[in-house]
Amino acid sequence: MTIIQEKTIAVKVRSDFPILHQQIHGKPLVYLDNAATSQKPIAVLDALRHYYEFDNANVHRGVHTLSSRATDSYEGARDKVAAFVNAASRQEIVYTRNATEAINLVAYSWGSTLKSGDEIILSVMEHHSNLIPWQMLAQRTGAVLKFVGLTETEEFDFEQFKSLLSDKTKIVSVVHVSNTLGCINPAKEICAEAHRHGAKVLIDACQSLPHMAIDVQDMDCDWLVGSGHKMCAPTGIGFLYGKLDLLRSMPPFLGGGEMIADVFLDHATYADLPHKFEAGTPAIAEAIGLGAAVDYLTNIGMDKIHAYEEELTAYLFHKLKEIPELHIYGPQPNADGSGRTALAAFTAGDVHPHDLSTILDQAGVAIRAGHHCTQPLHRHLKAQSTARASLYFYNTREEIDVFIASLKEAVEFFGGIFG
Amino acid sequence: MTLANLRDLYQQVILERYKKPKHRGVTAPVHRLQRGHNPSCGDTIELTVQLNEAGDRIEDVKFEGEGCAIAMASADLMAEAMRGKSTDEALEMVQRFQSMMQGNAEFPTEQRKLNVMQGVSQFPVRIKCATLTWHTLKAALESSNEPQPVGFVSNE
Ligand SMILES: Cc1ncc(COP(=O)(O)O)c(C=O)c1O
Repeated sequence: MTIIQEKTIAVKVRSDFPILHQQIHGKPLVYLDNAATSQKPIAVLDALRHYYEFDNANVHRGVHTLSSRATDSYEGARDKVAAFVNAASRQEIVYTRNATEAINLVAYSWGSTLKSGDEIILSVMEHHSNLIPWQMLAQRTGAVLKFVGLTETEEFDFEQFKSLLSDKTKIVSVVHVSNTLGCINPAKEICAEAHRHGAKVLIDACQSLPHMAIDVQDMDCDWLVGSGHKMCAPTGIGFLYGKLDLLRSMPPFLGGGEMIADVFLDHATYADLPHKFEAGTPAIAEAIGLGAAVDYLTNIGMDKIHAYEEELTAYLFHKLKEIPELHIYGPQPNADGSGRTALAAFTAGDVHPHDLSTILDQAGVAIRAGHHCTQPLHRHLKAQSTARASLYFYNTREEIDVFIASLKEAVEFFGGIFG
Repeated sequence: MTLANLRDLYQQVILERYKKPKHRGVTAPVHRLQRGHNPSCGDTIELTVQLNEAGDRIEDVKFEGEGCAIAMASADLMAEAMRGKSTDEALEMVQRFQSMMQGNAEFPTEQRKLNVMQGVSQFPVRIKCATLTWHTLKAALESSNEPQPVGFVSNE
Protein backbone atom coordinates (compact mmCIF):
# COMPACT_ATOMS: atom_id res chain seq x y z
CA MET A 1 0.00 0.00 0.00
CA THR A 2 1.21 3.48 -0.76
CA ILE A 3 0.57 6.29 1.65
CA ILE A 4 -0.79 8.92 -0.67
CA GLN A 5 -1.58 12.18 1.03
CA GLU A 6 0.88 13.61 3.53
CA LYS A 7 -1.89 15.20 5.47
CA THR A 8 -5.24 13.59 4.78
CA ILE A 9 -8.53 15.43 4.75
CA ALA A 10 -9.43 13.54 7.90
CA VAL A 11 -6.50 14.96 9.85
CA LYS A 12 -7.57 18.46 8.86
CA VAL A 13 -11.27 18.12 9.59
CA ARG A 14 -11.41 16.00 12.72
CA SER A 15 -11.28 19.01 15.00
CA ASP A 16 -14.46 20.25 13.31
CA PHE A 17 -16.38 17.32 14.82
CA PRO A 18 -16.47 17.58 18.63
CA ILE A 19 -18.38 14.32 19.02
CA LEU A 20 -15.50 12.29 17.61
CA HIS A 21 -13.24 13.21 20.51
CA GLN A 22 -14.66 11.06 23.24
CA GLN A 23 -14.05 7.70 24.85
CA ILE A 24 -16.46 4.79 24.72
CA HIS A 25 -15.83 2.09 27.34
CA GLY A 26 -12.46 3.74 27.95
CA LYS A 27 -11.43 3.59 24.27
CA PRO A 28 -11.38 6.39 21.70
CA LEU A 29 -14.61 6.39 19.70
CA VAL A 30 -14.23 4.99 16.18
CA TYR A 31 -17.46 5.96 14.45
CA LEU A 32 -18.12 3.66 11.48
CA ASP A 33 -21.89 3.95 11.19
CA ASN A 34 -21.98 6.85 8.76
CA ALA A 35 -24.38 5.21 6.34
CA ALA A 36 -26.99 5.36 9.11
CA THR A 37 -26.22 8.97 9.93
CA SER A 38 -23.18 11.23 9.78
CA GLN A 39 -21.76 13.40 12.53
CA LYS A 40 -22.19 17.18 12.43
CA PRO A 41 -19.40 19.75 12.19
CA ILE A 42 -19.23 22.82 14.45
CA ALA A 43 -20.18 25.00 11.46
CA VAL A 44 -23.59 23.28 11.35
CA LEU A 45 -24.06 23.34 15.12
CA ASP A 46 -23.18 27.04 15.11
CA ALA A 47 -25.70 27.75 12.35
CA LEU A 48 -28.46 26.15 14.44
CA ARG A 49 -27.44 28.05 17.54
CA HIS A 50 -27.07 31.34 15.71
CA TYR A 51 -30.50 30.97 14.17
CA TYR A 52 -32.18 30.36 17.51
CA GLU A 53 -30.14 33.01 19.32
CA PHE A 54 -30.62 35.79 16.82
CA ASP A 55 -33.03 35.11 13.96
CA ASN A 56 -35.79 32.78 15.11
CA ALA A 57 -39.18 33.67 13.59
CA ASN A 58 -41.67 32.03 11.28
CA VAL A 59 -40.87 32.23 7.59
CA HIS A 60 -42.88 33.89 4.82
CA ARG A 61 -45.31 35.28 7.38
CA GLY A 62 -44.17 38.58 8.71
CA VAL A 63 -42.76 41.90 7.70
CA HIS A 64 -40.73 42.31 10.86
CA THR A 65 -36.96 42.02 10.81
CA LEU A 66 -36.62 38.61 12.42
CA SER A 67 -39.10 37.05 10.03
CA SER A 68 -37.29 38.50 7.10
CA ARG A 69 -33.92 37.25 8.39
CA ALA A 70 -35.33 33.78 9.01
CA THR A 71 -36.88 33.73 5.54
CA ASP A 72 -33.66 34.89 3.91
CA SER A 73 -31.59 32.22 5.63
CA TYR A 74 -34.15 29.52 4.93
CA GLU A 75 -34.42 30.43 1.24
CA GLY A 76 -30.67 31.02 1.04
CA ALA A 77 -30.11 27.42 2.11
CA ARG A 78 -32.34 26.33 -0.78
CA ASP A 79 -30.04 28.17 -3.20
CA LYS A 80 -27.10 26.30 -1.71
CA VAL A 81 -28.77 22.92 -2.13
CA ALA A 82 -29.78 23.82 -5.69
CA ALA A 83 -26.17 24.70 -6.51
CA PHE A 84 -24.88 21.58 -4.72
CA VAL A 85 -26.77 19.27 -7.10
CA ASN A 86 -26.58 21.70 -10.04
CA ALA A 87 -30.35 22.14 -10.36
CA ALA A 88 -31.42 24.46 -13.18
CA SER A 89 -33.65 26.43 -10.83
CA ARG A 90 -34.04 26.94 -7.08
CA GLN A 91 -37.73 26.19 -7.55
CA GLU A 92 -36.77 22.60 -8.26
CA ILE A 93 -35.70 22.02 -4.64
CA VAL A 94 -38.51 21.09 -2.25
CA TYR A 95 -37.64 20.69 1.43
CA THR A 96 -38.92 17.52 3.07
CA ARG A 97 -38.28 15.88 6.43
CA ASN A 98 -36.02 13.28 4.85
CA ALA A 99 -35.61 11.16 1.74
CA THR A 100 -38.45 8.90 2.83
CA GLU A 101 -40.91 11.78 2.82
CA ALA A 102 -39.62 12.95 -0.57
CA ILE A 103 -40.28 9.52 -2.09
CA ASN A 104 -43.73 9.40 -0.53
CA LEU A 105 -44.45 12.84 -1.95
CA VAL A 106 -43.76 11.60 -5.47
CA ALA A 107 -45.58 8.30 -4.94
CA TYR A 108 -48.73 10.09 -3.73
CA SER A 109 -48.71 13.15 -5.93
CA TRP A 110 -47.36 12.02 -9.28
CA GLY A 111 -48.35 8.42 -8.48
CA SER A 112 -52.04 9.34 -8.36
CA THR A 113 -52.04 9.35 -12.19
CA LEU A 114 -51.07 5.66 -12.46
CA LYS A 115 -53.55 3.09 -13.70
CA SER A 116 -54.03 -0.60 -13.31
CA GLY A 117 -51.39 -2.47 -15.32
CA ASP A 118 -48.87 0.39 -15.39
CA GLU A 119 -45.44 -0.80 -14.37
CA ILE A 120 -43.06 0.48 -11.70
CA ILE A 121 -39.44 -0.75 -11.86
CA LEU A 122 -37.43 -0.97 -8.66
CA SER A 123 -34.42 -3.09 -7.74
CA VAL A 124 -34.00 -5.81 -5.11
CA MET A 125 -31.41 -3.66 -3.32
CA GLU A 126 -33.82 -0.84 -2.46
CA HIS A 127 -34.00 0.58 1.04
CA HIS A 128 -37.47 0.03 2.55
CA SER A 129 -37.99 3.78 1.99
CA ASN A 130 -37.88 3.24 -1.74
CA LEU A 131 -39.99 0.10 -1.65
CA ILE A 132 -42.95 0.50 0.69
CA PRO A 133 -44.30 3.75 -0.86
CA TRP A 134 -44.39 1.97 -4.24
CA GLN A 135 -46.00 -1.14 -2.76
CA MET A 136 -48.69 1.12 -1.31
CA LEU A 137 -49.10 2.91 -4.63
CA ALA A 138 -49.41 -0.42 -6.44
CA GLN A 139 -52.11 -1.47 -3.99
CA ARG A 140 -54.01 1.77 -4.52
CA THR A 141 -53.83 1.83 -8.30
CA GLY A 142 -53.34 -1.75 -9.47
CA ALA A 143 -49.93 -0.85 -10.90
CA VAL A 144 -47.40 -3.68 -11.06
CA LEU A 145 -43.95 -3.76 -9.40
CA LYS A 146 -40.99 -5.20 -11.33
CA PHE A 147 -37.58 -5.80 -9.82
CA VAL A 148 -34.08 -5.55 -11.21
CA GLY A 149 -31.86 -8.26 -9.74
CA LEU A 150 -28.13 -8.53 -9.15
CA THR A 151 -25.25 -9.59 -11.35
CA GLU A 152 -22.71 -12.17 -10.24
CA THR A 153 -20.64 -9.42 -8.66
CA GLU A 154 -23.72 -8.32 -6.71
CA GLU A 155 -24.31 -5.15 -8.68
CA PHE A 156 -27.31 -3.67 -10.50
CA ASP A 157 -28.12 -5.95 -13.44
CA PHE A 158 -28.31 -3.40 -16.22
CA GLU A 159 -29.00 -5.95 -18.95
CA GLN A 160 -31.96 -7.35 -17.05
CA PHE A 161 -33.12 -3.80 -16.37
CA LYS A 162 -33.24 -3.11 -20.10
CA SER A 163 -35.29 -6.24 -20.65
CA LEU A 164 -37.84 -5.11 -18.05
CA LEU A 165 -38.43 -1.76 -19.74
CA SER A 166 -41.45 -1.46 -22.01
CA ASP A 167 -44.14 1.01 -22.94
CA LYS A 168 -45.96 -0.09 -19.80
CA THR A 169 -43.10 1.21 -17.62
CA LYS A 170 -44.17 4.50 -16.07
CA ILE A 171 -41.46 4.99 -13.49
CA VAL A 172 -38.09 3.60 -12.50
CA SER A 173 -37.15 4.32 -8.89
CA VAL A 174 -33.73 3.08 -7.90
CA VAL A 175 -30.94 3.71 -5.45
CA HIS A 176 -27.77 5.43 -6.65
CA VAL A 177 -25.41 3.87 -4.09
CA SER A 178 -26.62 0.84 -2.16
CA ASN A 179 -26.42 1.25 1.62
CA THR A 180 -25.67 -2.48 1.91
CA LEU A 181 -23.73 -3.51 -1.20
CA GLY A 182 -21.83 -0.24 -1.60
CA CYS A 183 -22.13 -0.53 -5.38
CA ILE A 184 -22.54 2.61 -7.47
CA ASN A 185 -25.39 2.19 -9.91
CA PRO A 186 -25.18 3.72 -13.41
CA ALA A 187 -27.76 6.42 -12.75
CA LYS A 188 -27.14 8.36 -15.95
CA GLU A 189 -27.48 5.28 -18.16
CA ILE A 190 -30.56 4.16 -16.24
CA CYS A 191 -32.18 7.55 -16.92
CA ALA A 192 -31.30 7.44 -20.61
CA GLU A 193 -32.72 3.92 -21.09
CA ALA A 194 -35.89 4.67 -19.14
CA HIS A 195 -36.49 7.90 -21.04
CA ARG A 196 -36.27 6.02 -24.35
CA HIS A 197 -39.40 4.22 -23.16
CA GLY A 198 -41.07 7.37 -21.93
CA ALA A 199 -40.68 6.38 -18.26
CA LYS A 200 -39.76 8.76 -15.46
CA VAL A 201 -36.82 8.12 -13.12
CA LEU A 202 -36.42 8.79 -9.41
CA ILE A 203 -32.92 8.40 -7.98
CA ASP A 204 -32.47 7.71 -4.27
CA ALA A 205 -29.21 9.57 -3.66
CA CYS A 206 -29.09 9.18 0.13
CA GLN A 207 -25.78 7.32 0.01
CA SER A 208 -24.19 9.16 -2.89
CA LEU A 209 -24.87 12.83 -2.04
CA PRO A 210 -22.63 12.74 1.06
CA HIS A 211 -19.73 11.17 -0.82
CA MET A 212 -19.52 12.41 -4.41
CA ALA A 213 -20.44 15.34 -6.64
CA ILE A 214 -23.96 15.02 -8.03
CA ASP A 215 -25.15 16.85 -11.12
CA VAL A 216 -28.85 16.34 -11.72
CA GLN A 217 -28.76 17.96 -15.15
CA ASP A 218 -25.97 15.72 -16.35
CA MET A 219 -27.66 12.67 -14.82
CA ASP A 220 -30.97 13.79 -16.35
CA CYS A 221 -33.05 12.21 -13.57
CA ASP A 222 -36.64 13.40 -13.17
CA TRP A 223 -36.47 13.39 -9.39
CA LEU A 224 -33.65 12.90 -6.91
CA VAL A 225 -34.02 12.57 -3.14
CA GLY A 226 -31.62 12.99 -0.24
CA SER A 227 -31.53 13.14 3.56
CA GLY A 228 -29.59 15.94 5.23
CA HIS A 229 -28.58 13.93 8.27
CA LYS A 230 -26.35 11.64 6.21
CA MET A 231 -24.41 14.62 4.83
CA CYS A 232 -23.43 16.54 7.97
CA ALA A 233 -26.80 18.32 8.38
CA PRO A 234 -29.31 17.90 11.22
CA THR A 235 -32.04 15.29 11.27
CA GLY A 236 -35.52 16.39 10.19
CA ILE A 237 -34.48 17.93 6.89
CA GLY A 238 -34.13 16.38 3.45
CA PHE A 239 -35.10 17.39 -0.03
CA LEU A 240 -36.73 16.46 -3.28
CA TYR A 241 -35.24 17.67 -6.53
CA GLY A 242 -37.65 17.52 -9.44
CA LYS A 243 -37.63 18.89 -12.98
CA LEU A 244 -39.58 22.13 -13.00
CA ASP A 245 -42.28 21.21 -15.52
CA LEU A 246 -42.83 17.89 -13.86
CA LEU A 247 -43.19 19.40 -10.38
CA ARG A 248 -45.57 21.99 -11.87
CA SER A 249 -47.77 19.26 -13.30
CA MET A 250 -47.98 17.37 -10.01
CA PRO A 251 -50.89 17.95 -7.59
CA PRO A 252 -50.02 19.05 -4.01
CA PHE A 253 -49.17 16.38 -1.47
CA LEU A 254 -50.09 17.88 1.92
CA GLY A 255 -52.50 20.78 2.29
CA GLY A 256 -52.27 23.67 4.74
CA GLY A 257 -50.55 26.98 5.31
CA GLU A 258 -47.53 28.05 3.24
CA MET A 259 -48.62 26.05 0.20
CA ILE A 260 -51.49 28.31 -0.87
CA ALA A 261 -51.93 31.41 -3.03
CA ASP A 262 -55.54 32.39 -2.40
CA VAL A 263 -57.92 30.66 0.00
CA PHE A 264 -61.74 30.66 0.03
CA LEU A 265 -64.01 28.62 2.22
CA ASP A 266 -64.67 26.00 -0.41
CA HIS A 267 -61.51 26.07 -2.51
CA ALA A 268 -58.03 27.47 -2.83
CA THR A 269 -55.35 28.14 -5.38
CA TYR A 270 -51.89 26.87 -4.70
CA ALA A 271 -48.61 28.64 -4.26
CA ASP A 272 -45.97 28.45 -6.94
CA LEU A 273 -43.08 26.05 -6.65
CA PRO A 274 -41.46 25.03 -4.41
CA HIS A 275 -43.94 26.21 -1.75
CA LYS A 276 -46.79 24.23 -3.27
CA PHE A 277 -45.17 21.15 -1.69
CA GLU A 278 -44.20 22.72 1.64
CA ALA A 279 -47.36 22.81 3.73
CA GLY A 280 -47.15 24.08 7.29
CA THR A 281 -44.31 25.67 9.23
CA PRO A 282 -41.19 23.94 7.94
CA ALA A 283 -38.06 22.75 9.77
CA ILE A 284 -36.49 26.21 9.49
CA ALA A 285 -33.39 25.78 11.64
CA GLU A 286 -32.74 22.38 10.12
CA ALA A 287 -32.96 23.74 6.58
CA ILE A 288 -30.49 26.48 7.54
CA GLY A 289 -28.33 23.73 9.04
CA LEU A 290 -28.50 21.87 5.73
CA GLY A 291 -27.30 25.01 3.99
CA ALA A 292 -24.37 25.22 6.41
CA ALA A 293 -23.56 21.55 5.80
CA VAL A 294 -23.58 22.09 2.05
CA ASP A 295 -21.20 25.05 2.49
CA TYR A 296 -18.97 22.94 4.69
CA LEU A 297 -18.80 20.07 2.21
CA THR A 298 -18.35 22.42 -0.74
CA ASN A 299 -15.46 24.19 0.99
CA ILE A 300 -13.64 20.90 1.39
CA GLY A 301 -14.65 19.91 -2.14
CA MET A 302 -16.79 16.90 -3.07
CA ASP A 303 -14.13 15.67 -5.49
CA LYS A 304 -11.51 15.72 -2.76
CA ILE A 305 -13.86 13.92 -0.39
CA HIS A 306 -14.55 11.30 -3.01
CA ALA A 307 -10.86 10.81 -3.80
CA TYR A 308 -9.94 10.48 -0.12
CA GLU A 309 -12.76 8.00 0.45
CA GLU A 310 -11.49 5.91 -2.43
CA GLU A 311 -8.14 5.70 -0.65
CA LEU A 312 -9.97 4.63 2.50
CA THR A 313 -11.92 2.03 0.51
CA ALA A 314 -8.73 0.54 -0.91
CA TYR A 315 -7.18 0.38 2.54
CA LEU A 316 -10.32 -0.99 4.19
CA PHE A 317 -10.70 -3.83 1.71
CA HIS A 318 -6.97 -4.57 1.81
CA LYS A 319 -7.19 -4.97 5.59
CA LEU A 320 -10.45 -6.93 5.56
CA LYS A 321 -8.66 -9.58 3.51
CA GLU A 322 -6.59 -10.38 6.59
CA ILE A 323 -9.65 -12.04 8.14
CA PRO A 324 -10.46 -15.14 6.10
CA GLU A 325 -13.71 -15.84 8.02
CA LEU A 326 -15.36 -12.76 6.52
CA HIS A 327 -17.84 -12.79 3.69
CA ILE A 328 -18.22 -9.31 2.23
CA TYR A 329 -21.25 -8.38 0.11
CA GLY A 330 -21.21 -6.28 -3.05
CA PRO A 331 -18.47 -5.75 -5.62
CA GLN A 332 -14.75 -5.70 -4.89
CA PRO A 333 -13.19 -2.26 -5.31
CA ASN A 334 -10.56 -1.63 -7.97
CA ALA A 335 -6.96 -1.43 -6.78
CA ASP A 336 -7.25 2.34 -6.40
CA GLY A 337 -10.39 1.99 -4.30
CA SER A 338 -12.76 3.13 -7.04
CA GLY A 339 -15.77 1.11 -8.17
CA ARG A 340 -17.64 1.08 -4.87
CA THR A 341 -18.07 3.26 -1.80
CA ALA A 342 -16.32 3.15 1.56
CA LEU A 343 -18.64 0.77 3.31
CA ALA A 344 -18.57 -2.95 3.86
CA ALA A 345 -21.48 -5.17 4.89
CA PHE A 346 -20.24 -8.58 5.94
CA THR A 347 -20.80 -11.72 7.94
CA ALA A 348 -18.14 -13.52 9.97
CA GLY A 349 -18.77 -17.24 9.86
CA ASP A 350 -21.05 -18.34 12.68
CA VAL A 351 -20.63 -15.15 14.68
CA HIS A 352 -23.92 -13.28 14.62
CA PRO A 353 -23.64 -9.58 13.59
CA HIS A 354 -25.28 -8.49 16.83
CA ASP A 355 -22.65 -10.24 18.88
CA LEU A 356 -19.92 -8.74 16.69
CA SER A 357 -21.34 -5.28 17.17
CA THR A 358 -21.48 -5.64 20.96
CA ILE A 359 -17.89 -6.84 21.08
CA LEU A 360 -16.71 -4.01 18.82
CA ASP A 361 -18.60 -1.49 20.91
CA GLN A 362 -16.53 -2.58 23.89
CA ALA A 363 -13.50 -1.52 21.84
CA GLY A 364 -15.08 1.86 21.10
CA VAL A 365 -15.94 0.90 17.52
CA ALA A 366 -19.48 1.76 16.35
CA ILE A 367 -20.74 -0.43 13.51
CA ARG A 368 -24.27 -1.38 12.50
CA ALA A 369 -25.74 -4.86 12.78
CA GLY A 370 -29.04 -5.94 11.32
CA HIS A 371 -30.76 -5.78 7.95
CA HIS A 372 -30.08 -2.04 7.38
CA CYS A 373 -33.64 -1.56 6.11
CA THR A 374 -32.92 -3.78 3.12
CA GLN A 375 -34.68 -6.95 4.23
CA PRO A 376 -35.58 -8.17 0.73
CA LEU A 377 -31.94 -7.74 -0.33
CA HIS A 378 -30.78 -9.73 2.69
CA ARG A 379 -33.27 -12.45 1.80
CA HIS A 380 -31.93 -12.39 -1.76
CA LEU A 381 -28.37 -12.73 -0.41
CA LYS A 382 -29.56 -15.49 1.96
CA ALA A 383 -28.29 -13.56 4.97
CA GLN A 384 -30.51 -13.07 8.00
CA SER A 385 -28.51 -10.01 8.93
CA THR A 386 -25.10 -8.49 8.32
CA ALA A 387 -22.62 -6.27 10.11
CA ARG A 388 -21.74 -3.04 8.35
CA ALA A 389 -18.87 -0.60 8.71
CA SER A 390 -19.43 2.63 6.78
CA LEU A 391 -16.87 5.40 6.54
CA TYR A 392 -16.83 9.12 5.95
CA PHE A 393 -14.12 11.66 5.17
CA TYR A 394 -13.28 12.19 8.84
CA ASN A 395 -12.31 8.56 9.31
CA THR A 396 -8.64 7.60 9.23
CA ARG A 397 -6.49 4.61 8.37
CA GLU A 398 -5.63 4.34 12.06
CA GLU A 399 -9.33 3.92 12.79
CA ILE A 400 -9.55 1.20 10.17
CA ASP A 401 -6.64 -0.49 11.96
CA VAL A 402 -8.49 -0.34 15.30
CA PHE A 403 -11.62 -1.70 13.64
CA ILE A 404 -9.75 -4.58 12.03
CA ALA A 405 -7.88 -5.44 15.23
CA SER A 406 -11.08 -5.55 17.28
CA LEU A 407 -12.86 -7.49 14.55
CA LYS A 408 -10.07 -10.07 14.67
CA GLU A 409 -10.41 -10.30 18.44
CA ALA A 410 -14.16 -10.74 18.14
CA VAL A 411 -13.80 -13.50 15.57
CA GLU A 412 -11.22 -15.21 17.77
CA PHE A 413 -13.40 -14.83 20.86
CA PHE A 414 -16.17 -16.73 19.11
CA GLY A 415 -13.88 -18.72 16.83
CA GLY A 416 -12.72 -20.70 19.84
CA ILE A 417 -16.14 -22.17 20.40
CA PHE A 418 -16.72 -23.08 16.77
CA GLY A 419 -13.20 -24.48 16.50
CA MET B 1 -11.07 -4.49 24.66
CA THR B 2 -12.78 -4.90 28.02
CA LEU B 3 -12.75 -8.65 27.96
CA ALA B 4 -13.94 -8.93 31.54
CA ASN B 5 -17.21 -7.24 30.59
CA LEU B 6 -17.57 -9.50 27.62
CA ARG B 7 -16.96 -12.61 29.68
CA ASP B 8 -19.77 -11.44 31.91
CA LEU B 9 -22.09 -11.21 28.96
CA TYR B 10 -20.87 -14.21 27.04
CA GLN B 11 -20.61 -16.74 29.85
CA GLN B 12 -19.21 -20.10 28.78
CA VAL B 13 -22.65 -21.69 29.13
CA ILE B 14 -24.11 -19.14 26.73
CA LEU B 15 -21.44 -19.78 24.13
CA GLU B 16 -21.87 -23.54 24.49
CA ARG B 17 -25.64 -23.39 24.16
CA TYR B 18 -25.29 -21.16 21.10
CA LYS B 19 -22.91 -23.62 19.50
CA LYS B 20 -24.66 -26.81 20.57
CA PRO B 21 -28.25 -26.18 21.56
CA LYS B 22 -30.02 -29.05 23.29
CA HIS B 23 -33.60 -28.10 22.58
CA ARG B 24 -33.71 -27.16 18.93
CA GLY B 25 -36.52 -28.75 16.97
CA VAL B 26 -40.27 -29.24 17.14
CA THR B 27 -42.21 -30.94 19.93
CA ALA B 28 -44.29 -34.02 19.18
CA PRO B 29 -47.14 -33.41 19.36
CA VAL B 30 -47.44 -29.66 18.96
CA HIS B 31 -50.00 -28.15 21.32
CA ARG B 32 -48.88 -24.58 20.94
CA LEU B 33 -46.95 -22.95 18.12
CA GLN B 34 -45.86 -19.34 18.29
CA ARG B 35 -43.52 -17.22 16.23
CA GLY B 36 -41.60 -14.32 17.68
CA HIS B 37 -39.83 -11.61 15.81
CA ASN B 38 -37.43 -8.81 16.62
CA PRO B 39 -38.25 -6.26 13.90
CA SER B 40 -35.19 -4.10 14.51
CA CYS B 41 -32.72 -6.85 13.62
CA GLY B 42 -34.78 -9.46 11.79
CA ASP B 43 -34.16 -12.21 14.33
CA THR B 44 -36.92 -14.80 14.46
CA ILE B 45 -37.87 -17.64 16.74
CA GLU B 46 -40.48 -20.37 16.46
CA LEU B 47 -41.51 -22.08 19.68
CA THR B 48 -43.49 -25.27 19.95
CA VAL B 49 -44.96 -26.49 23.23
CA GLN B 50 -46.24 -29.87 24.29
CA LEU B 51 -48.68 -29.83 27.22
CA ASN B 52 -50.09 -32.53 29.49
CA GLU B 53 -53.60 -33.85 28.94
CA ALA B 54 -55.20 -31.29 31.21
CA GLY B 55 -53.37 -28.58 29.30
CA ASP B 56 -52.04 -26.93 32.44
CA ARG B 57 -48.50 -28.31 32.56
CA ILE B 58 -45.61 -28.08 30.10
CA GLU B 59 -44.11 -31.38 29.02
CA ASP B 60 -41.70 -30.07 26.41
CA VAL B 61 -40.62 -26.86 24.66
CA LYS B 62 -38.52 -26.70 21.50
CA PHE B 63 -37.35 -23.83 19.35
CA GLU B 64 -36.28 -23.10 15.80
CA GLY B 65 -35.02 -19.84 14.40
CA GLU B 66 -32.04 -17.65 13.75
CA GLY B 67 -30.51 -15.11 16.02
CA CYS B 68 -27.50 -14.02 18.00
CA ALA B 69 -25.77 -15.97 20.76
CA ILE B 70 -27.81 -14.21 23.43
CA ALA B 71 -31.16 -14.92 21.77
CA MET B 72 -30.41 -18.54 20.97
CA ALA B 73 -28.87 -19.41 24.34
CA SER B 74 -31.79 -17.76 26.09
CA ALA B 75 -34.22 -19.91 24.09
CA ASP B 76 -32.32 -23.11 24.79
CA LEU B 77 -32.00 -22.46 28.53
CA MET B 78 -35.64 -21.44 28.74
CA ALA B 79 -36.81 -24.58 26.96
CA GLU B 80 -34.90 -26.69 29.47
CA ALA B 81 -36.17 -24.80 32.51
CA MET B 82 -39.79 -25.10 31.39
CA ARG B 83 -40.04 -28.88 31.40
CA GLY B 84 -42.54 -30.05 33.97
CA LYS B 85 -43.62 -26.56 34.99
CA SER B 86 -47.28 -25.69 35.32
CA THR B 87 -48.41 -22.95 32.96
CA ASP B 88 -48.85 -20.64 35.95
CA GLU B 89 -45.31 -21.31 37.12
CA ALA B 90 -44.08 -20.76 33.59
CA LEU B 91 -45.76 -17.37 33.34
CA GLU B 92 -44.31 -16.42 36.68
CA MET B 93 -40.84 -17.35 35.40
CA VAL B 94 -41.38 -15.15 32.35
CA GLN B 95 -42.10 -12.31 34.76
CA ARG B 96 -39.03 -13.10 36.80
CA PHE B 97 -36.81 -13.22 33.72
CA GLN B 98 -38.00 -9.78 32.71
CA SER B 99 -37.24 -8.44 36.19
CA MET B 100 -33.82 -10.06 36.03
CA MET B 101 -33.14 -8.14 32.81
CA GLN B 102 -33.89 -4.94 34.73
CA GLY B 103 -31.38 -6.07 37.34
CA ASN B 104 -34.12 -6.59 39.93
CA ALA B 105 -34.33 -10.34 40.41
CA GLU B 106 -32.67 -13.68 39.98
CA PHE B 107 -33.81 -17.28 39.90
CA PRO B 108 -33.79 -19.55 42.97
CA THR B 109 -31.29 -22.39 43.32
CA GLU B 110 -33.23 -25.03 41.42
CA GLN B 111 -33.40 -22.75 38.35
CA ARG B 112 -30.02 -21.11 38.83
CA LYS B 113 -28.82 -22.05 35.35
CA LEU B 114 -30.96 -19.20 34.06
CA ASN B 115 -28.90 -16.77 36.11
CA VAL B 116 -26.09 -16.95 33.54
CA MET B 117 -28.23 -14.54 31.53
CA GLN B 118 -27.91 -11.91 34.27
CA GLY B 119 -24.94 -10.25 32.57
CA VAL B 120 -27.24 -9.12 29.75
CA SER B 121 -28.80 -6.57 32.10
CA GLN B 122 -25.52 -4.62 31.83
CA PHE B 123 -26.05 -4.32 28.06
CA PRO B 124 -29.40 -2.55 27.66
CA VAL B 125 -29.46 -2.77 23.86
CA ARG B 126 -29.18 -6.55 24.07
CA ILE B 127 -32.04 -7.13 26.52
CA LYS B 128 -34.46 -7.51 23.62
CA CYS B 129 -32.33 -10.34 22.25
CA ALA B 130 -32.60 -12.23 25.55
CA THR B 131 -36.31 -11.63 26.12
CA LEU B 132 -37.57 -12.49 22.62
CA THR B 133 -38.02 -16.18 23.44
CA TRP B 134 -39.72 -15.40 26.77
CA HIS B 135 -42.21 -13.00 25.15
CA THR B 136 -42.90 -15.67 22.59
CA LEU B 137 -43.52 -18.35 25.22
CA LYS B 138 -45.90 -16.06 27.10
CA ALA B 139 -47.89 -15.49 23.91
CA ALA B 140 -47.90 -19.23 23.22
CA LEU B 141 -49.24 -20.08 26.67
CA GLU B 142 -51.83 -17.33 26.63
CA SER B 143 -53.15 -18.30 23.20
CA SER B 144 -56.12 -20.65 22.80
CA ASN B 145 -55.82 -24.34 22.00
CA GLU B 146 -55.20 -23.51 18.36
CA PRO B 147 -51.84 -24.99 17.43
CA GLN B 148 -51.67 -22.70 14.38
CA PRO B 149 -49.70 -19.49 14.76
CA VAL B 150 -51.91 -16.42 14.78
CA GLY B 151 -48.99 -14.31 13.60
CA PHE B 152 -45.78 -12.93 14.99
CA VAL B 153 -45.42 -11.52 18.44
CA SER B 154 -43.10 -8.65 18.17
CA ASN B 155 -40.53 -7.65 20.70
CA GLU B 156 -40.85 -3.91 20.20
C1 LIG C 1 -30.26 4.21 0.33
C2 LIG C 1 -31.17 4.84 1.35
N1 LIG C 1 -32.37 5.26 0.99
C3 LIG C 1 -33.21 5.84 1.85
C4 LIG C 1 -32.86 6.01 3.18
C5 LIG C 1 -33.85 6.63 4.09
O1 LIG C 1 -33.40 7.80 4.66
P1 LIG C 1 -34.30 8.54 5.73
O2 LIG C 1 -34.61 7.54 6.80
O3 LIG C 1 -33.43 9.65 6.22
O4 LIG C 1 -35.52 9.02 5.03
C6 LIG C 1 -31.60 5.58 3.60
C7 LIG C 1 -31.14 5.74 4.99
O5 LIG C 1 -31.44 5.06 5.92
C8 LIG C 1 -30.74 4.97 2.66
O6 LIG C 1 -29.53 4.52 3.03
